[in-house]
Amino acid sequence: MSARVTIAITRNRTAVWFLAGLLGGCGPGETPHHPENVATNGERKILRIAYDREIDVLNAYTSQMLVDISFSMVEGLVTTNDRNSYVPVLAKQIPTEENGLIVMNDDGTVDMTWQLHEGVRWHDGEGFSSDDVCFTWRFVTSTGSQTYNRDQYLGIIDCLMPDEHTVVFRWDDVYGYYAGLFEAVLPEHVLGGMTTDEIVNYTPYNRGPEMVGTGPFRFAEWKSGEYIRVVRNDDYWRGGDYPAIDEVVWAFIPDSNTRLNAMKARRYDYARIEPTQVAEAERIDGYRVHLVSSNSFMHLDLSLNTERARNLFGDAAVRRAMFHAIDRQAIADQLMQGTVRLANSPINPTSPYHNPDIGQPGFDPQRAGRLLDELGWTLGPDGIRQRHGERFSFVMINRAGQADRIAVAQVIQAQLKDIGIEVKFETLESAAWTNRWRNFQWEGIVSAWYLSADPSITSQYLCDGPNNMTSMCDPELDELLLASDRSLNFDTRKKYLDDAQARLAETSRMLPLYYNVIPEIVNTRVRNYRGSGTNFGSFWNLYEWRLNR
Amino acid sequence: MIAYSARRLLQMIPLLFGISIVLFAVIQAAPGGPEGALLESGRFIDPAVIEAYRERLGVDQPVYIQYLRWLSAALSGDLGTSFSTTRPVAEMIVERLPATLELMGAAFLFAAVVAILLGIFSAVRQYSWFDHLGTGLSFIGIAMPVFWFALILQLVFGVMLGWLPIAGTQTVGASSLGDHLLHLVLPTVVLSFNYIAGWSRYLRSSLLGVLRADYIRTARAKGLPESRVIGVHALRNALIPLLSIIALNLSSLFSGAVITETVFAWPGIGRLFVQAMFARDYPLLMGILMLGSLMVIVFNLVADLLYGALDPRIRYD
Repeated sequence: MSARVTIAITRNRTAVWFLAGLLGGCGPGETPHHPENVATNGERKILRIAYDREIDVLNAYTSQMLVDISFSMVEGLVTTNDRNSYVPVLAKQIPTEENGLIVMNDDGTVDMTWQLHEGVRWHDGEGFSSDDVCFTWRFVTSTGSQTYNRDQYLGIIDCLMPDEHTVVFRWDDVYGYYAGLFEAVLPEHVLGGMTTDEIVNYTPYNRGPEMVGTGPFRFAEWKSGEYIRVVRNDDYWRGGDYPAIDEVVWAFIPDSNTRLNAMKARRYDYARIEPTQVAEAERIDGYRVHLVSSNSFMHLDLSLNTERARNLFGDAAVRRAMFHAIDRQAIADQLMQGTVRLANSPINPTSPYHNPDIGQPGFDPQRAGRLLDELGWTLGPDGIRQRHGERFSFVMINRAGQADRIAVAQVIQAQLKDIGIEVKFETLESAAWTNRWRNFQWEGIVSAWYLSADPSITSQYLCDGPNNMTSMCDPELDELLLASDRSLNFDTRKKYLDDAQARLAETSRMLPLYYNVIPEIVNTRVRNYRGSGTNFGSFWNLYEWRLNR
Repeated sequence: MIAYSARRLLQMIPLLFGISIVLFAVIQAAPGGPEGALLESGRFIDPAVIEAYRERLGVDQPVYIQYLRWLSAALSGDLGTSFSTTRPVAEMIVERLPATLELMGAAFLFAAVVAILLGIFSAVRQYSWFDHLGTGLSFIGIAMPVFWFALILQLVFGVMLGWLPIAGTQTVGASSLGDHLLHLVLPTVVLSFNYIAGWSRYLRSSLLGVLRADYIRTARAKGLPESRVIGVHALRNALIPLLSIIALNLSSLFSGAVITETVFAWPGIGRLFVQAMFARDYPLLMGILMLGSLMVIVFNLVADLLYGALDPRIRYD
């Protein structure tokens, strides 16, 4: 069993917030609250989860959502743990140059060998083997698999199977992000022989009866609009001690207030709540609120997408001056009630690739005004700065319903107004917002993206990065990012990424505001919970969760 | 009446056709597309995947082509496949209908009983304290935001008193008929409150008019007991306008209650609609909206027929 250490930031009434090493869920002296306020079902241990949405399909590769539920049934070669690191699951170890499982070939290709656990069986009794892994690779890379990060798999040019429990991926080049792929393995004996389109649309796998995995729980029931229920896999490959729970029920409760009320009524063991609900949730007896460090950072992005935006934000000195007007500390302390920590770079402090030595412009509105004066942006008669007849005014698009981002945007709007910059809001429904963002039709946004545990930030900041929608381009940064992606050695890659993070700050590419947290409320009878803020969610180690009576 | 009904049923065909064009156009006019759902998770998506996704769903085609495809399939009874779940739309709707019918049915029944009683007492004791109280509560009921009322009830009866469950239709792993009925209580009360407020006002107003009619005076002059005068002679006539309104409201039996179902995590059509809307799941949206439209038309017809059945003065040409 891996060490029971979590980086979850745990908050209680006596301490403001601190990093805690939680040993097995609840601390000494705490009395686990007796099972929730519902009738018990004999001696079965049922974990009830108040879940914030209903997922679309169970196929981890074709789902449009974060399918942490699926990972209770399906396992991959790796998963992401509570320390934002990849850990092997179906693989015995992650290949590295040091352990000799990565070999550079003379023709420039790279072989990465994954040794698989033996004795692993699918839920229907079939044996798990390297065939399944290579089948998964063929599916993901096929056109139309609709896997969100399919491009990252395209560097694999062949999948070799020296034996039933060894897979060799042959890559056309070196890719630093290799360790985070294959988060799930698909069963070839169920899906093999189908076309990609047939697999994408195969309801028996997408919704249940034929959803077989190798994970600690087996699919039991999906009641549309209500819940998904999984039951213990008695044949789990980690041995008879795992899992220690008989059933898990994810009840779909989309309204956050209802979720909080349901937790207050003690009807569930676990729920994600909103940061603004933390103080109230902490008063629930028998439960503990964990502020899980999320692998996403709230930031202000400015673009060069319109002629006006290019005139306003084209000069990094102007962007820097603007950033001096924004009080990030106040946003973190007051708006987010001290639940978050200031950000200085896109890479989360939980990652070993985080560069802690980067500074961001401090809050100094006088200095911001002075700098803008020097740059020719002087106050006009209406209190708004202008230069050569152009007013310093731009539009920020906000996504409706995302209260935290809108509140942050409002603070920024007010603080920029204080130094003579006008920010107009356009609030759009989610799909409309995405449409504008994708099509470079925006000037400013407050945004946050979930990053994987791999530290690559190339797709966001490369000049022609597929997710760089700012129209900003920095060839010097490109070199650093591409070099970091081509590095397998930790120290080398870290050096490149340290420099890239510094370069982002020097050029005032965007303003990091704070690292998000995900507040999770968990019944103290739940043991071995180790919250994770990555896209695998906190159920990554569900096999070792326990329920005290 | 049969000829009238047949004529109305035939008129439905072009009407539904027109509605389908309008709905399809409105849905498509909303900015963004189903690919927005890919980015909703907050992950960065390979742009090639987004394009392939649009192509697979057919939303890269001109709107009229998409509509014609949908129409030709719909005419053969196929409402299409949901973008997000890859399941047949008809199957998804049928799956959710029982929950919506149950909730709306319970709410209608409860509302009808309470509203009729309230309306009668308010009318019979006009300007009494009960009437004033009823009027005040009705205004509150009409004005009160549903989500707020729902959360307050959850807090009082679910959290503070612990009498009633807060969300869903059952306690998984410990469900029974009694457990299910307890889950039904709060959403039913919330949903019916608004109907009670409106319907009781209608009945009060209608009954006040009837109570002043000559035939009521005659009934009283004959020495009939007041309960018979009110319960038989007055109420039957006063109920006619209310019943036609209730019949019109019945169409929502099939379209569900968006807010109530969402707040109480009730797995009905209303919540499915919200999910489809956010995911820009065009086929699912069309399926739900067409069902709602069909039901509005059908219950309009029912209301007209009911009116004629209850009031012999009305004739159908």
